[in-house]
Amino acid sequence: MLRIQNLTKVYPNGTQALKDVSFEVKDGEFLVVIGLSGSGKSTLLRCINRLIDPTEGKITWDDIDITAAPPAELRRIRRQIGMVFQQFNLVKRSSVMTNVMNGRLGYANPWLSLLGIWPPTDKQRAVKALERVGIADKASSRADALSGGQQQRVGIARALMQEPRLVLADEPVASLDPVLSHSILHYLEQLNKEGMTVICSLHFLDLVHRYATRVIALKDGIKVFEGLPAEIDRAKFKEIYGEEAQEVRATTVEASA
Amino acid sequence: MKESEPARRSPLLAGALSALLPGLGHVSLRQWYRGVAILLSFLVLTGIVAWYAEPLISWDSSIYPLLAFLAWFKFGGFWYLAPAGMWLWNIWDAASLAGCGRTRTILIPLLFGMMAAYGIGWQLVEVDFSAASLDRAMAIIRPMLYPDMVEERRELNRMWTYVSVPCSATETPPQARREEDGKVASATPDCAKLSEALTVSVSGMWPDTDTIVWWETAIGDDKPLGGNENAPLIVRTDATGSLTVVIHVPSTVMIAQPDPSLMLQHRVYFDQYRPLGGYQITSNGGFVLKGMMESVTMALMATTLSILLAIPISFLAARNLMGGNPFTLFIYVITRTILNFVRSIEALILAIVFVIIVGLGPFAGVMALAVHSVVALAKLYSEVIEGIDPGPIEAVKATGANWLQVARYGVIPQIVPPFTAFTIYRWDINVRMSIIIGMVGGGGIGQYLIQWIQINEMGAVGAAFIAIAVVVITLDYLSAKVRERLV
Repeated sequence: MLRIQNLTKVYPNGTQALKDVSFEVKDGEFLVVIGLSGSGKSTLLRCINRLIDPTEGKITWDDIDITAAPPAELRRIRRQIGMVFQQFNLVKRSSVMTNVMNGRLGYANPWLSLLGIWPPTDKQRAVKALERVGIADKASSRADALSGGQQQRVGIARALMQEPRLVLADEPVASLDPVLSHSILHYLEQLNKEGMTVICSLHFLDLVHRYATRVIALKDGIKVFEGLPAEIDRAKFKEIYGEEAQEVRATTVEASA
Repeated sequence: MKESEPARRSPLLAGALSALLPGLGHVSLRQWYRGVAILLSFLVLTGIVAWYAEPLISWDSSIYPLLAFLAWFKFGGFWYLAPAGMWLWNIWDAASLAGCGRTRTILIPLLFGMMAAYGIGWQLVEVDFSAASLDRAMAIIRPMLYPDMVEERRELNRMWTYVSVPCSATETPPQARREEDGKVASATPDCAKLSEALTVSVSGMWPDTDTIVWWETAIGDDKPLGGNENAPLIVRTDATGSLTVVIHVPSTVMIAQPDPSLMLQHRVYFDQYRPLGGYQITSNGGFVLKGMMESVTMALMATTLSILLAIPISFLAARNLMGGNPFTLFIYVITRTILNFVRSIEALILAIVFVIIVGLGPFAGVMALAVHSVVALAKLYSEVIEGIDPGPIEAVKATGANWLQVARYGVIPQIVPPFTAFTIYRWDINVRMSIIIGMVGGGGIGQYLIQWIQINEMGAVGAAFIAIAVVVITLDYLSAKVRERLV
């Protein structure tokens, strides 16, 4: 169980990204965070694994206080939290295999890993992860030689290497062709069904309805909604996204997932 | 024009004002910017023309004013047409602006300005194709077409004898006859004046072989004896290995001799060559190879030295690392300023300075190249660092990696390939620069090259050009290939 209490983040330049946000995520949930660009979704996800340090508030995960963790413990926490990014964040000049192996850094012997020496079990694990996302044949390609959808699958494989209990997905499909959205989210859904908790920020409402078990909405850093996806009707939509918003669908036809 | 209330006035008045002072008409129409711009460009144009095209012939010195004018016009007065045209256009523009509120195209004054700039520029740089001489060009190009690089291996059979020049009133000259290994060389008479005829003969040489007969002065200068003292004299030995030929004492053999009546011993040589089969590198060819090797090594040393210094400096010159607080920002600004300043000094100039500091030779060249490379590489490296994508760093951090692992897997893969590419590119530039740097005494092939040019050894120059071309093209190709791979 992940508990977020009174989370506030003010950036050094004065921008208030999060204002007193509190919610809970039970194990095994697929929680979707929605909101306009700049509403604080990315900041919220990055506070959970402390890529960004919150200004105030507390985040606890199964009685571990993430916000108070010293560096070594923080690294142990981070290795159990997989993260998938909007821009994939792969090292473009490195091979797909190296990028996937990076997911194992938190577990590897720090000195051997600096020399690029990995235990054989980790290599097998990487091959399996790549097979799982269907791009085992691309293992030796350079990351930037892959298409956007394939790069995001490498990102997922990298997260899988961490054997995570929690996956943070920051707009995982926003940089992709809408038709690819379902194939990527499908992998996240599978992981969720295997017991991993997923916290995912999304733009398209139809994807929210399709994948989320629960939804929270942010507006200007304030939590304005928390509930089931079905509860987001037209009025709620206008409230979250503003009066002028028009709903756009990611895909008109449900993918054959 | 976006004037809210177009200031319509009399075109005559505006034109007259602009005629009085260019731009004044525009100013009176509240076209401040245009008026001032016209005045300034008119003044600059007139100033340049007046400075350059001072009349060479004064007006009142001639009884024929028309001829004097034409002469003045021909010698530069012509360029006054440009400001005159500009002045006329300015009147037209002002009148038109006052009359119908429309300005005239600035293409016309621009054309006048360019006419003056290019015309005067053409004369100033003394473009004069008639000064070029095909004969002079061919005189240096022809020997370059026979590069002094490799030669047939051959055996030399040489014989010589003394000849005294000139004859002395008091001294008896030594006999002009010498024997060695069964070969006999002699000259009659034993002494001679400049340009006087001498009969020289040799025996005991290889039979039926072309023999070069040449003169060596008392101080060791070679003088050819054939043609008009400008071509080798080649005589064939007979079946017994002897030859006899009449030569004339070269007219230049006593140049720089303080006392022209002093009798000195000169020599006449007889040289025969026989091929031994195969080829060998000439002595100049050896210098070409040695110089080339020196140049490439200089570039390698300079590049290596500069990497070591450029990497730490580049971190100080990267804005994304140093922009955090005012102190580091200050260091960044200072570093950048120094880099930009040093980068503006050409390596050639640095080489001249280092030749003074450390003496002639490759070390001066290496230092000059290294200093220039440090600043050039530091700037390129710092731009690579500024271009690092924070995304992968964030992603590696999120996996629980410590900061060393983040550097190893998030940062280094991003910067090493472009660093390497830039370094190879720099080495490539340094090889080319090291050739030039030799010309001011910085070692390498350039140092030989400039000496060969100065002593008119064009065959060796041709060989050096070939070596330079081969090395530069090869490196260019290789470095392009490697960089293609990396980036």
